[in-house]
Amino acid sequence: MGYLILSTVIKVLLFPAYRSTDFEVHRNWLAITHSLPISQWYYDATSQWTLDYPPFFAYFEKILSIPAAAIDARIVDLNNLNYDSWSVIVYQRSTVIITELVLGAALLKFIRSAVDPPTQRIISASLFLHPGFLIIDHIHFQYNGFMFGILLWSILMARNGKKLMSGILFAVLLNFKHIYMYLAPAYFIYLLRSFCLSPSGQVEIKNFLALANAVIVVFGVSLAPFALTGQIQQLLSRLFPFTRGLNHAYWAPNAWALVTAADRILLKYVKSTGKHIPVNLAGVASTSRGLVGDTVFAVLPNVKPIHTFTITIALQSIILIKLWFHPTYKSFVTALTLCGYSSYLFGWHVHEKAVLLILVPLSLLAAERHAYFRTFVIATVAGVFSLFPLLFTPAESVVEVVYSIVWFAMIYLPLSKRVYEFPKSLSYVILDIIEKIYLGGFLVLQIFVALFPILSRRKGADASGMEFLPLMVTSVYCSIGMVWGFMRLIFIYLHEDTAYQGQLSTIQ
Amino acid sequence: MGRRWIRWSHKRGMRSSLIGLVTFACVFLKLGLGLGPYSGENTPPMYGDYEAQRHWMEITVNLPFNEWYTYDPQYWGLDYPPLTAYVSWICGIVAHSINPSWVALDSSRGIETAGSKLFMRGSVIAFDTLVYVPALLLFSRMWFVTRSKRTQDLAFLHLMLHPALLLVDFGHFQYNSVMLGLMVMALNCFAIGYDLAGAFFFVLSLGFKQMALYYAPAVGSFLLAKCVLLGPKEGGRLFVRLGLITIATFTVLFIPWIPPFSSSTRAILVPISRIFPFARGLFEDKVANFWCASNIVMKWRKLAAQAILVKAAAVLTLLGFLPSVAVIGKVAWELKTLIPSEAEEGSKLDDKQPSNFSNTPILPLLPYALLNSSMSFFLFSFQVHEKTILLPLMPLILLFAGATPDSEVFQWGALGSNVAVFSMWPLLKKEGLALQYFALTLLWNRLIGYNPLKIMSTFYSMKSFVHVLSAGAYMAIIFLHLLEPIIIPPARYPDLFPVLNVLVSTPVFVCLWLWSIKCCIQVSWAVTGPSGAGAESIDRPRFSSIVSDTNERPSSFRAPISRGVVADRVRTISLGPAHGKRARRSSTHSVPGSTSALPSSVSIFRGNTTVNDRMPDS
Repeated sequence: MGYLILSTVIKVLLFPAYRSTDFEVHRNWLAITHSLPISQWYYDATSQWTLDYPPFFAYFEKILSIPAAAIDARIVDLNNLNYDSWSVIVYQRSTVIITELVLGAALLKFIRSAVDPPTQRIISASLFLHPGFLIIDHIHFQYNGFMFGILLWSILMARNGKKLMSGILFAVLLNFKHIYMYLAPAYFIYLLRSFCLSPSGQVEIKNFLALANAVIVVFGVSLAPFALTGQIQQLLSRLFPFTRGLNHAYWAPNAWALVTAADRILLKYVKSTGKHIPVNLAGVASTSRGLVGDTVFAVLPNVKPIHTFTITIALQSIILIKLWFHPTYKSFVTALTLCGYSSYLFGWHVHEKAVLLILVPLSLLAAERHAYFRTFVIATVAGVFSLFPLLFTPAESVVEVVYSIVWFAMIYLPLSKRVYEFPKSLSYVILDIIEKIYLGGFLVLQIFVALFPILSRRKGADASGMEFLPLMVTSVYCSIGMVWGFMRLIFIYLHEDTAYQGQLSTIQ
Repeated sequence: MGRRWIRWSHKRGMRSSLIGLVTFACVFLKLGLGLGPYSGENTPPMYGDYEAQRHWMEITVNLPFNEWYTYDPQYWGLDYPPLTAYVSWICGIVAHSINPSWVALDSSRGIETAGSKLFMRGSVIAFDTLVYVPALLLFSRMWFVTRSKRTQDLAFLHLMLHPALLLVDFGHFQYNSVMLGLMVMALNCFAIGYDLAGAFFFVLSLGFKQMALYYAPAVGSFLLAKCVLLGPKEGGRLFVRLGLITIATFTVLFIPWIPPFSSSTRAILVPISRIFPFARGLFEDKVANFWCASNIVMKWRKLAAQAILVKAAAVLTLLGFLPSVAVIGKVAWELKTLIPSEAEEGSKLDDKQPSNFSNTPILPLLPYALLNSSMSFFLFSFQVHEKTILLPLMPLILLFAGATPDSEVFQWGALGSNVAVFSMWPLLKKEGLALQYFALTLLWNRLIGYNPLKIMSTFYSMKSFVHVLSAGAYMAIIFLHLLEPIIIPPARYPDLFPVLNVLVSTPVFVCLWLWSIKCCIQVSWAVTGPSGAGAESIDRPRFSSIVSDTNERPSSFRAPISRGVVADRVRTISLGPAHGKRARRSSTHSVPGSTSALPSSVSIFRGNTTVNDRMPDS
């Protein structure tokens, strides 16, 4: 209760904060679902922010639009674009806070019947007050808290052995936001192996049918109205726009960010030495456009969607094979994290907000062992830091940094003592020091990013063309941490049986 | 919630980083508040307090000293004492180096860019963190020296998150925390006996905002009483030193307006007349004090001329703070007559630590006296603003911070601060800080573990006067808050709700004022014994040191008996339960029967101002 009041107070204070275009996107969806018949939802293009979430989210907006219309009819006026009076701000921001209670409830349930309730309490509180949610949901504006609430309910059901329920909830979640497909392979394998097959490998036909039917019903409820009116084609084209580039506007800190950065450095190198290496002219143009738009490499071979797809699938299959042979709860959560992680690192057009898909399930593992905890720390710091550029207005940037530091200290201090392990050999000590230096580097980076505008203004005009430098450095530095975190986690996961036994291993 | 959290973090080994965490978290909260609107946002041509503060930066950084107080007084002319001006000057210089357009003379009027807003908000937070936060931290360490680390941390947390100051400084936009911080620093110095430093800080506080004058009667009488208590020789010397320090500090503050640096001797009158504008009315807007509340019945401004009203206000204010001054004087006098020789003897014995001794018997009176004098100023003086409630609130929450939840001080403190925040509601609402008002009030009440609803639902139990009063006040407050969105005030009374607000708040403040008098008297009894002049037959209280006991205790324990007795007698009242233990322990060291000093624990800060006498076999 205390946490709830604290977090609500914080979020209420953020009401007047900066709002991204996502705020208008969601307002527009309220208007679409309220004023148009269901057959028009996925066709409407009055605003450029067309509806591109799956049907459950559209239904959800429909429900939200009913009180909205009662409060202020202008909120749901389709042609009232960029409406931002105090009433719509308060209403939309409140709906985020209220729907986030789903997350709160799931986290509370996690504490009950946890292996180690005091530790789980810290983790639950950390998730509920996660700076990622604060930045993306309460300032930038989205409904991630609500949807991660559903995801955590589903994971909780898996922990409590109600696997059918877990599968249903995940299917529901998929119909709210299709980005959770990143996690679907882990779910599929886990439920197939542990629910539809008996430990000895016999097919549990009853379970299988129950699960299959349940999932079909969920999808049926979601899609039927659109299938019946023949809109599936249109719906899919809205949901999966494959026309976008490899990197998002500003590079999400994944493997492609590193590759892109390497390409830019190579190009500089080629230009300065004048070596005869074929240079793609479109790529040269692409660099000068800064970070906006499609990415075309100048020196390195270009990456196509099929490449990203292949790498992701290959990595995921390693993880899934392991999961197949060890379908325990802990293994499942780790595999879930890793699936999200590999999609994030190697996926096509990944948005930096997707980092929550890694951080949230990873948090559940934070208190397992020191190795997990350290992975959690690195991924969290890098991931949260990579979200900072989402907010570029001065006041909000300070707010997010200060909040993240406080939050991090509140998690790090109690947990680090709990999981501390003495390093086993010299190599561990060296690794530990390097990681600490890396983490310390974020402070330097933050100072650099904060001072850069002032410094470049002092220098005058010669800094033009460099205005993307802070973003680029941020992205590259974070992606080092993200990739390293992935390597750590996959190593831990594959060595699980021999080396890493934590408290969650007791859950079957 | 706060208590539980402190316990949790102490157990989790976060003890050492707790203060940093709390400070940082508060910085976040203040930044969050800063995202909201401020006084006079988007309201040309005059804007509000925010623009006033920014404008002062603009004129101080661009103009020579002698024009500071004279430049275009119609547009937010500088009307605070010089320290504010110097602080604005520093801010102005920093602002100028970051972005000159923020403080460009004249052309920057009403500038509202995101960058300048962040800078202004940041400057308040920076000064708050530099002055107010360390002062509170030292306060929690020095005044609760005998209490556990947890209690100290909790007190710090309670003080840090107090909504009234947060809302005014970081929402509305002012620099009150600097003045209050300097005042708390003065109190800290008094607590450890550095009276000269205390006087210095008090003058600085006055030099930042003339409002600190509300504390002057209490501080002045406290210091005078101390001089009396020290006897003619020591006391006289202290008196002269205090006078010198005060005059010197004032001189330094006003130096640009004093002859060698200014053209004429009359230059000093310019800032003075700007700082004390007696030409304004009895009260502005609607403020929850005596004049405004009674104005509903008696139209003061029609009944009497301005000059008479000024005098009446002065007389009433004087009468208002007289009790505490009188009590301090009486206590000093009685202690003086009770232990004249020993005090002097003690001063000789304790030459090594001359001033952290013997000031302290009257120290526990000081917070109550501050409350009394500032509240009387708030209620009865001239030209009071609703934000001024912060001044009486400060001693109240300082007292409150260390109180246990079932004590009377806790009840009064929580009631006082909630009503104080409520009394600023019309102002905050006007500025669009309604959400922040509700959020912070809720957070703080939750933090201190105080539930107004529970108090309302148990009012019939008639536990105590303050309980019933709180229940009544909260009912009225909630009723008004519910009523306000529903009922549109009739055209004849557009100020209906502010007036009702005043009518709810004023009685509570009057009760607080009466309570502070009562407490002064009770504490004075605790210090001198119930009937004072009864001299030797009375159980005299024994005081335990307020100074860090790690330094004091061993020496007083091992001291020869004669000295131990003296030391015991003049050491002052402790602030908590740990004291009782120590008194018992040290009583075994004193030889029974050889002295008339009897142990008694006086724990004012826990709210029960009872004298708990334990008679040794004599």
